[in-house]
Amino acid sequence: MDIEKVEKVVKKKRTKFPEKLIYEIADAAERHDLNDKELDELVKEIKKANQRAGVENGEAVGTVAAQSVGEPGTQMTMRTFHYAGVAELNVTLGLPRLIEIVDARKKISTPTMGIYFDEEYSADEEFVRKIANRIGKIILNDILKDFNVNYANMNLSIEIDEDKVNDKRLEYDEIIAKIEKAFKKVEIDKNLLSFEPTITDPKHAIRELRLLADKVRDLQISGVKNIGKVVIRKEGAEWAIHTEGSNLGAVLKMEGVDKTRTSTNDIHEVEKVLGVEAARNAIIHEAQSTMEEQGLTVDVRHIMLVADMMTADGKVKSIGRHGISGEKASVLARASFEETGKHLLRASIRGEVDHLTGIIENIIIGQPIPLGTGSVGVIMKEKK
Amino acid sequence: MAAKKLTRFEKARIIGARALQLSMGAVPQVDISKLGSIDPIDIAMLELKKNKMPLDVKRRTV
Repeated sequence: MDIEKVEKVVKKKRTKFPEKLIYEIADAAERHDLNDKELDELVKEIKKANQRAGVENGEAVGTVAAQSVGEPGTQMTMRTFHYAGVAELNVTLGLPRLIEIVDARKKISTPTMGIYFDEEYSADEEFVRKIANRIGKIILNDILKDFNVNYANMNLSIEIDEDKVNDKRLEYDEIIAKIEKAFKKVEIDKNLLSFEPTITDPKHAIRELRLLADKVRDLQISGVKNIGKVVIRKEGAEWAIHTEGSNLGAVLKMEGVDKTRTSTNDIHEVEKVLGVEAARNAIIHEAQSTMEEQGLTVDVRHIMLVADMMTADGKVKSIGRHGISGEKASVLARASFEETGKHLLRASIRGEVDHLTGIIENIIIGQPIPLGTGSVGVIMKEKK
Repeated sequence: MAAKKLTRFEKARIIGARALQLSMGAVPQVDISKLGSIDPIDIAMLELKKNKMPLDVKRRTV
C-alpha cells in the first residue's frame, strides 16, 4: 500500500495525522492486505481514537504529568539505591538516575556509551575488537611481561609482551613512539626498554626512581579521553561496545561507527555534540528507560512534556531552583517555590511588575485561575 | 469565531453563564414547553444544542 493512497483517504476524512501514523497505517494495510473499504474503516477508527487521545485547550497537562511521574517515583524509592550491573559495567539506575536527569546534572555519576557499527562491520569481530582497544584505556602496565627496578644502577628495565600487544591489536611502532615522546631518557632494544630518572638532587634519587616507575606503568598508550573500561558484547548477530565513561564527539568521528545508533547517557554531552533537539530525545529516552527498567510504565507524553519544558529555551536547563522554577517571570510564582524572602525583597528593590498571567499568582491573589473553565471568557454573540 | 468544536471547558463555561442569566429572568431563546424541566441549566443546554445560545466563547489569545 503506498503512502499517497493512505494520505488521500485521510484527507477525505478531513483529519490530519502525524507522518509516522500514516506510515504505520500504510504498513498495516500492506500486511493485512486491506481493500479500499477496509482501509476507509481503519482510518475512520483511527481518527476516532486519535481524537480521544488528544487533550483539549485548557487542560492541566503539567499537573497530570507531575502526578503521573511522581506516583511511580514513590514506588521506586523502596527498591533502589543499588546498582544493577549491565555486563560488568556499573550504571546508576532507579531514583538516583531519575533525579540526575531532571536536575540536568553536568557531571553524571556513571556516564556510559553504547557503540554500534555500520552494517559492513557489525559482524566483524576482529574490526570491533580493534576499535574497542582504540577506545578503551590501555596503560603500559597492561602489556608488560617483566618490570624491574634496579637500585644499583639507578634505572628500570621493562619488557613488552608481544603476545599481549597482538592480543590487544595495538601497533608496536605506535607504542614506542608514545614512549619516546613521554620519556626522554630511554633506551630501546626491541622488546627491552630501560629508563633512567632525571636526578636533580642525589638525596632524592630513590624517590625519583620510584616516581618514574609509577609514571612508566601508568603511561596511557591507547584510548579516547574520558573513557575507561570497555566491554565488547555480542547482541544478536552483531557486535557492540559498551563503555565506562563517555566521549560522544570523539567516538562518532571514528570509522565504521554507526552514527545513528551510537549513544551516550550524558545529556549535556548529547546537547554539546548534536544539539538541543537531540538532547530532548535523550531526556525522553533516558527517563523512560530508567522507569521501564524498574518495571514502571509512564505514558511518553508526560515525559515528553518534561523534556520539552527543560529544552524549550534552546539549552538544557534543570527543573528546580536553578532552572524552570527559578526562572519564572512572575515574582509570586518564584516566591511560592523556594527562598520566598529573597525573591520578594529583590522584586521590591527592582520594582518588578507581576502581570498575573500564571496559575500560582492568581491562587495567591485569590482569583479564578486561567485553567480549564477559567481559561475561557464569555461574550455576547452579535445579532445576525 | 466559534467555528471549531467547543471543548468541554468552553461548554461548561458558556452553559454556566447562560444558566445564571436565565435564573435571573432572561427570556429563553428556545421553546421550553416540551423540555419538561425549568432548571436553568437544562434550558441553557437545550439552547446550546439548538444553536440558539446568545453567548459565545472568547478564547485566550496567549
